[in-house]
Amino acid sequence: MKLRKAYLAVAVLLAASPLFLVLSDMVGYREPLDLAAELLGLKDLSEEVNWTPFFDYTVPGLPPALGYAVAGAIGVAAVVLLGEALRRVLK
Amino acid sequence: MHIPDGFLDPVTAGATYLVSAAYAAYAFRRLRAERGRLELVTPLAAGIFAAQMLNWPLPGGTSLHFVGGALSGILLGPWLGFLPMLLVLLVQCLLFHDGGITALGANLLNMAIIDVLAGYAAYKLAPPRRKILGAFLGGWLGLALAGLACGVEIGVSSQLPYGLAVTVPVMAGWHAALGVVEGAITAAVVSYISRRAPHLLEGGGGREAA
Repeated sequence: MKLRKAYLAVAVLLAASPLFLVLSDMVGYREPLDLAAELLGLKDLSEEVNWTPFFDYTVPGLPPALGYAVAGAIGVAAVVLLGEALRRVLK
Repeated sequence: MHIPDGFLDPVTAGATYLVSAAYAAYAFRRLRAERGRLELVTPLAAGIFAAQMLNWPLPGGTSLHFVGGALSGILLGPWLGFLPMLLVLLVQCLLFHDGGITALGANLLNMAIIDVLAGYAAYKLAPPRRKILGAFLGGWLGLALAGLACGVEIGVSSQLPYGLAVTVPVMAGWHAALGVVEGAITAAVVSYISRRAPHLLEGGGGREAA
């Protein structure tokens, strides 16, 4: 029962996620790691060697805010599938 | 905090993969004793994944999101606590390319090992009446140490002779500041769980009777 509550909390977080995408885009999303990499002149190759259609939490054909929440749901589903598979292997 | 492809040189990437693989192998062996708590891994991983989606904008144009390694260590201990972070980082890397495939070893080391161990240790060492403070310190310390490790990894990978001198102050400094938020969220979640479901807390001691 407690576990069901945990998934309810997950759904609430996902529903709120587009708001956070918009807000952090407004201030210009920038982690300390980006700052350090810029000082060193390190180059992020993610876009050049990309393999996934869901790159950076986008879903092809969906607007960014909606795509972000849908990508989140896809990610949670993948975590749950992988987690349950792992549990079966370890049991 | 998620190192992308292109930031690490092959030596650093390889070395961090080795360390993380060795820890994973040992953790999986130790898991045999903890099978009863295995069912907590997936919901915690799902929660941490979703929480990491929320980017909190901060004044000055910096952002942060909750990382959750310390929380995982506090709730599940150093071995089982590795698993939720492994699931989260694998899915983020493979499905969303958040964190590079060449940097997966380093990202696991920072967020699934260092952060988890720091959270676990701070919580465990806190006296029974100060467990919530221990959770706060664990979240703070975990993020600060993970940031420091991340700075060292990209610093030694840099072609610049003074790489470390640049990255360590930037990464350790920022994450020591941002860690206050991580600590507060960690403490809030642990406080909630200790009131509603104290049996879920790893044998940190002192809360079982609450």
